[in-house]
Amino acid sequence: MNGPAELKRPTVLVVDDEVGMRDTLVAILEYHGYRVWSAPDGETAFSAVQEEDFDVLVMDIRMPGRDGVSVLEELGIPPRVILMTAYAAEDRLRAAADANVFAVLSKPFDMNRMLSLVAQASEENK
Amino acid sequence: MTGSNAPRANSMTGKWVKRWPLRPLSAVILLVLAAVAAASCLITQNVVADQERLILREQTAEVAAVVGSSFAGAQSSLQLLGQIAGSGDTHPKLFAAAAHAVTTASTQGWLVTIKSGTSLKVTAAAGNGPVVGQALSGAQGTLAGRALAAKGLVSGFVRDGRALRLVFALGGAAGPGTVVWQETVISPTTPTPTGPTSPWHSLNVAIYLSNHPDPSALVVTTTKDLPLAGVQYPFRVGADTWLIVASSPQSVVGSLGQDMPWIVLAFGVVTAVLMTAVLETLGRRRDYASALVEERTASLRSAIAERETAQASLSRQENMAAIGQLAATVGHELRNPLAVVMNVLYLMKVGSKAAADDPIHRHVATAEREISAATRIVSDLLDFAAGRGPILAPVEVCDLVTEALSVVPPPDGVQVVQRGEPLVVDADRDQIRQALLNLITNGYDAMPSGGVLTVSTTSGPGSVQITVTDTGMGMDEKTSGSIFTPFFTKKTRGIGLGLAVTKRVIEAHGGTIAVQSTPGAGTSFTLTLPVLAAMVSAPQ
Repeated sequence: MNGPAELKRPTVLVVDDEVGMRDTLVAILEYHGYRVWSAPDGETAFSAVQEEDFDVLVMDIRMPGRDGVSVLEELGIPPRVILMTAYAAEDRLRAAADANVFAVLSKPFDMNRMLSLVAQASEENK
Repeated sequence: MTGSNAPRANSMTGKWVKRWPLRPLSAVILLVLAAVAAASCLITQNVVADQERLILREQTAEVAAVVGSSFAGAQSSLQLLGQIAGSGDTHPKLFAAAAHAVTTASTQGWLVTIKSGTSLKVTAAAGNGPVVGQALSGAQGTLAGRALAAKGLVSGFVRDGRALRLVFALGGAAGPGTVVWQETVISPTTPTPTGPTSPWHSLNVAIYLSNHPDPSALVVTTTKDLPLAGVQYPFRVGADTWLIVASSPQSVVGSLGQDMPWIVLAFGVVTAVLMTAVLETLGRRRDYASALVEERTASLRSAIAERETAQASLSRQENMAAIGQLAATVGHELRNPLAVVMNVLYLMKVGSKAAADDPIHRHVATAEREISAATRIVSDLLDFAAGRGPILAPVEVCDLVTEALSVVPPPDGVQVVQRGEPLVVDADRDQIRQALLNLITNGYDAMPSGGVLTVSTTSGPGSVQITVTDTGMGMDEKTSGSIFTPFFTKKTRGIGLGLAVTKRVIEAHGGTIAVQSTPGAGTSFTLTLPVLAAMVSAPQ
């Protein structure tokens, strides 16, 4: 994890309160070569973003405690953010109001679409 | 409530105005009572007429008695003259003097004849008649013969020239074979004046020398109006039957008797009218009361019905709200597990070391398909539960159709045709897109063995229409009437919310959705969206 090639790999923070979702996403993104961190709630995610400069943030909107949108609002210059929601329409609208959102995906989503969005976001963040 | 009361009051007044002047029962009673009055009048009239006839008959009989007694006088005169003539060789002057004594009119003549052989010869005469030595012949002879045969008073007419003579003849009064004869010139058609002293009382009388009112047998009359319509009273004069016909110029029963039928009629009619008026008033009061009761009952019933409808609608809304709540909860709770399973399947796919032809790949694909199906159901549930109002923005309809068609590629054997020019309408893009997706996938599902799906966009006055037509199996009327009901489905897959959501979305836009289907030939759905978005409020 310390080689130069390692440093070139894009970094992704996965935030979801559902452990199954979190673990499978981490596994898939790692399989595709990303360096992946994960956080179980908005508070942890917020601290993580303060310490580390992630290329992409994949975050659930609805979580206990701080939700995804409020984390987003408090971040200064955020990484590219891909939001996930199980609540479709209304969350999509809330999120779309924030210019920093790269994309909003409804759960369950097509994994190929997720991967291509993560790839695009990390490209643009270089 | 006032709005529904007013027309009812109108309809009631209308009923009162339009109805017959009389209720049928009152009309029948009026007719019956009037008929009774008329019948009573007729009966009274008959009774009065009977009474009248009876009295007239009595009076006529009196007249007949008077007339008969005067003829009895004539008979005794003839007998007297016969005895004078038959007492031997009487001096003609004696006969004349005796005849003169019984003569009552200048036109009278007296004579006595004696039969010699077949002829009758006048042996004594006085007054204005045949003279001595003259033989009686013709009608005179016949009459004299009748008098000889009858041996009693006979009467008849003798006409010589213009004069008509009434003859009374008495056979045998002056000895065997003699006839004593009295004749009087009469003019029967000239009415004899009547008066209080006349024997006719105040009757109109005609006397005939016949047993029937034969005009040629008229002896005397008091009126020119012949024949008289009145009581016929035959009576005997010697050997002959005479007839009196009498009528009364004024009522013999008096004016009260005469008026009685009309009094009865008037009384009856007045009674009938009064009875009818009373019945009618009572009947109308009852009608009014029962109409009032009916009206109140009807308004009560409709109020109850309204309340029931409102309650049903309320409980239906509550049901729908509960279903929506359930759908939302279940939908959201299913999304995360579905997403995790999708991820796991992805990991299995990419991490599998199995060969490309290993059945595990097929099984994973099956699992993925099933997850997609479950996801669609969840989407339907959530769409149905969401029920948010449309957020309107200009949408180009053709683009939207193209986009919707690209999201769901047609199955094998189905050909897609898109028609129509670009049209802009204010709509909620996501919602209309979802509605179109529902119609398009329904169309595909209706054509399992292939066909053509046509989506056309047209503009009408103030509206835009999107028609989705398939050439599939179609449906019967019963089915097409239920397809917009939530949870109604004929498919083996799906929970029957697609069209319910579609309908709600279109109606929230102020539009309509119509279905037209022919079993075996296909189905056509038409969405109509208003162009004037300002007309449609966007509730939030």
